[in-house]
Amino acid sequence: MPQTPSGTTEATWLAERRTAAKERLGTLSMPSEREEIWRYLDLDFDPGFESVPPGPGSSNDDHVVTGWHGTVVSIVDGYTTSQGVASVGELEESVEIVRGSDLFSTAFLAYAPGSAYVGEALLETPVLVDIQTTGTATTFPGVHIDVPRGGDAAVVVRMRSTTDQAATVVPSITANVGDNARLTLSIIQDWNYATRSLGRGVIRLGRDAGLTFSEVGLGAKLGRLHLDVDFVGDGSHGKIYGAYFGEGDQVLDYRYFMNHIGTNTRADMFLKGAVADRALSVFTGMIRIEETGKRTESFQTNRNLILSEGAAAQSVPNLEILNNDVKCGHGSSVGPLDQDQRYYLMSRGLTPKRADRLQVHGFFEAVIEQIPDQHVAAWARDKINSKYITAQEEGRV
Amino acid sequence: MSYALEVRNLKARIDDLEILRGVDLAIPFGEVHAIMGPNGSGKSTLSHVLMGKTDYQVEGEAYIDGVDLLSMTVDERARAGLFEAFQYPTEVAGVSLEALTAEMAASNPDDDGFAERIAATTERLDMERFLDRAVNVGLSGGEKKRSEMYLLGVANPKVAILDEIDSGLDIDAVREVAAMVEALRSPQLGVVIITHYSRILRYMDVDTIHVMVGGKIVRSGGPEIAEELEGAGYMEYQVASAS
Ligand SMILES: Nc1ncnc2c1ncn2[C@@H]1O[C@H](COP(=O)(O)OP(=O)(O)O)[C@@H](O)[C@H]1O
Ligand SMILES: [Mg+2]
Repeated sequence: MPQTPSGTTEATWLAERRTAAKERLGTLSMPSEREEIWRYLDLDFDPGFESVPPGPGSSNDDHVVTGWHGTVVSIVDGYTTSQGVASVGELEESVEIVRGSDLFSTAFLAYAPGSAYVGEALLETPVLVDIQTTGTATTFPGVHIDVPRGGDAAVVVRMRSTTDQAATVVPSITANVGDNARLTLSIIQDWNYATRSLGRGVIRLGRDAGLTFSEVGLGAKLGRLHLDVDFVGDGSHGKIYGAYFGEGDQVLDYRYFMNHIGTNTRADMFLKGAVADRALSVFTGMIRIEETGKRTESFQTNRNLILSEGAAAQSVPNLEILNNDVKCGHGSSVGPLDQDQRYYLMSRGLTPKRADRLQVHGFFEAVIEQIPDQHVAAWARDKINSKYITAQEEGRV
Repeated sequence: MSYALEVRNLKARIDDLEILRGVDLAIPFGEVHAIMGPNGSGKSTLSHVLMGKTDYQVEGEAYIDGVDLLSMTVDERARAGLFEAFQYPTEVAGVSLEALTAEMAASNPDDDGFAERIAATTERLDMERFLDRAVNVGLSGGEKKRSEMYLLGVANPKVAILDEIDSGLDIDAVREVAAMVEALRSPQLGVVIITHYSRILRYMDVDTIHVMVGGKIVRSGGPEIAEELEGAGYMEYQVASAS
């Protein structure tokens, strides 16, 4: 068997995939803002693919989500370090759902040590995947979740940095949800403010499969998640939630694609975000209904609060419908705090600061209360509220 | 003794649109007054101007228990003892009634009576099941009014202005609201009920009725005014104020 970057052997399929990707990588350049999928981003930086570390750095073992009782899978600098957790590189064939041919997706194929395989054996209890970066190297953490037919899985993925150093991370989170299975997947993006994260997610749903997905975006200098949810099986359905809060010079970037392929599929996508200081958020949503997607119902909503004059949000929902027998809708808004709410709350005696805090809390609650994992919901609520309070106290909002 | 609320020659406009054209009012503590007038006469504007909504250019004077209102911000007016029950209470999604009253208490650290009033008013108005619901979201017309009355009870103001507290309610609900207002009467409080129907006044006692037309109080007098208006409407006054 060929060698991995860390010196262990890996499956032939993975080695071949790696070699082909490395060859292709040589022909690719940095994506451009002129491409729709990268629009609004400043990609003028060195991705540093040559710096991939030969093994994991020293991890931080504090318990990441207070009150967590399930299994913990650690991925440090792209390497799965938990005992008893397989890497996809140990499987006979690729099960990951790899997609994309741009520089970052190709680099993932070329350099990722091998995604952690979260399958049936691990999914009996909730799984927390703790992804850490420990230094300045560019790393490629990956998770592949495989929910067997009829299974019911709950996975939380937390991404964090153990230092304040700048790094580039190319995470990949993929899932295959079998027929009649359910997956609850909650992602916490909590990188340090110097890190650029170019994340890719692909989730494939089988017949009557159900998904509840949430992402809470708090960290990163550039925090991107390009997500595809493929409603392949007839009757598959998903709820997709997001809450994000950007400040300083953060750029939080969401490209969400709901791909309706089977009949009678249903998606509800609801993202809410706030930006302060000079932060930018981007949401481009796509509901794509294939000719085969009869009786699809798909809705997307993105609402943004602009908390400081220098902050901005781009919100661009799109529909691409190749079948007429469907129900779809989208809504999008970008604006400051609501004056009527402020007036009403102040008329009840609340100071302007308390009135605005309550309004910000209420704005996010509609999505945070939908996060199925109570630990994650409580954590997100607390983090977002305290970020806003700090910004208020520092006079930034 | 100062009045609970005293208003002198209060004018308000939005750019060229004059809405209040010199309002005078004096509400003693312990009394319940009504302001009646046709739609568009400026009744809600009066309550918003007193509460401090910033849409208007304001002139004149207003005092709550002798303290100048117009120099204060909205929240300062509330904490000084002014309560406006809104004609159209604003929905605050994602914020429970309980969270709101907790913040009212936290904004008002000098008043240590909140916990007791929250408990007592919750029981008196049977509000338990509304406490974890979002403020005014998905409530019926009557439930919104009840929620406003609840916040009034929690706030414990010196002056309560109830804007169209009876509008959009069926007759049983009007009776119920009238009883709640009656129950408020106290020597520490002056109440102003704003309405354009005399209906609610049949179920409660008011001390004085003021008729507002075209941004002015055109007549003040006893409860008999309500009966007159029920017969003749506001026509007479509108003609008079137009000339
Ligand atoms: N914010 C505002 N902008 C523009 N016009 C207003 C505003 N507030 C009140 N007005 C106008 O002032 C007049 C009085 O309104 P309002 O005080 O609501 O009357 P009432 O409560 O007696 O029905 C109306 O002609 C109304 O259109
Ligand atoms: Mg009105």
